[in-house]
Amino acid sequence: MQKVALTRLLQHLIAQNSWAQDLLLPFAGKSLQFNVSVFQQTLVVLENGQLAISGETNLPDAVMTISPTTLLRLLAKDEAANRQVSITGDTQLASAFAKVFANAHWDVEDDLSRLIGDMPANQVVDSTKKMVDSVKKSSTNAVDMLTEFLQEEKPLIAKKISVENFNAEVDTLRSDVERFEKKLDKLIKRAQQLHSPKSLS
Amino acid sequence: MEKENSTHFGFKTVAENEKAKKVGEVFHSVASKYDLMNDVMSAGLHRSWKRFAVEISGVKAGDTVLDIAGGSGDLSKLFAKKVGETGKVFLTDINASMLGVGRDRLLDAGLSMPAIQCDAEKLPFADNQFDCVIVAFGLRNMTHKDLAIAEMQRVLKVGGRLLILEFSKVWQPLSKIYDAYSFKLLPFMGKILANDADSYQYLAESIRMHPDQETLKQMMVDAGLSKVDYYNLSAGVVALHKGYKI
Repeated sequence: MQKVALTRLLQHLIAQNSWAQDLLLPFAGKSLQFNVSVFQQTLVVLENGQLAISGETNLPDAVMTISPTTLLRLLAKDEAANRQVSITGDTQLASAFAKVFANAHWDVEDDLSRLIGDMPANQVVDSTKKMVDSVKKSSTNAVDMLTEFLQEEKPLIAKKISVENFNAEVDTLRSDVERFEKKLDKLIKRAQQLHSPKSLS
Repeated sequence: MEKENSTHFGFKTVAENEKAKKVGEVFHSVASKYDLMNDVMSAGLHRSWKRFAVEISGVKAGDTVLDIAGGSGDLSKLFAKKVGETGKVFLTDINASMLGVGRDRLLDAGLSMPAIQCDAEKLPFADNQFDCVIVAFGLRNMTHKDLAIAEMQRVLKVGGRLLILEFSKVWQPLSKIYDAYSFKLLPFMGKILANDADSYQYLAESIRMHPDQETLKQMMVDAGLSKVDYYNLSAGVVALHKGYKI
């Protein structure tokens, strides 16, 4: 029944994002296999532009392989991670799927409103958003405070400006050492010339 | 010669021309309590399986759908919502009692659609008519399954889909429990609930005689369908096959 449940969830998500149906429609009947480490799942585009989990004997038209770390980066909306995704087969199909999953949005408030009504759903979603924002803000504040303590009171972490100054000083020192080395080489050569038998005669 | 003209009726072997009559008797007998029978046989899961079949069909507004052996009209009702006012659903069944139950139920739900009594092995439709043809829990009762599938393929439009939802071969580790349920509990419940143990015994036997997932897939390929795939539902108790006319 896992396939039934997943298909229902997918179709619900696509129905909430009707633009995705138009995007997938030209690929009706085609399927794409996702490989994330040991997890494998194939999705099929249906004739109405909807999505479904494939059956037991489906042969995919494209295969998308994503490492678990790349998946985490993709979920964090790191666009550079797209380059780490390996695609074989129908690349246009894979690209359509990538667009759908990057831009599909789950309208929680709409779903909740069917269960508890519009106003309560709006209030629940608003309160949850505020709570999440507040937790995010508090965690950011806590991290900031800890960083300040470790930088100022108990300097275990270097400040950015200090690191930059240190790097600049290292660069200057490296240049000075290089200049000194060259001058030293010159002096050694001159000394060798002065003490050579030719110059003595 | 006798073997060539015989077929299965549950575990019994009967003359081909007798099977339709005998199946007809079973369904005449259970028609009024068909929903109860389905609920008893599937523990209520048949509603979820049918809904899944509609979800997998890819049917959209404006499509034309043929529901074969439509019985109680469950699927036609779900498809009617999908095709909307611009589409059309045809409910068919070989059994007048079953068709009557389905037609009345659809009318009660405010849905008016053609309800046609016909044999799936000789469909009264021209070639290339339907976007989707579906038969749910009906194929196993047909005498010549290969002929019926070929007919369904014939009436499909190019690009159309055939869906077959049917009891199938259960996952091996569950087969003993499933057998006990089918052959002991099911006829007993049939006797208690509908006072009709024989019909329920036939239904259990007919499930065992039906082709397994791979055999049915091959039958669909042989009938000219392409990209045939199937879903095992509830550990293979039921399988949903889908194939395309290309």
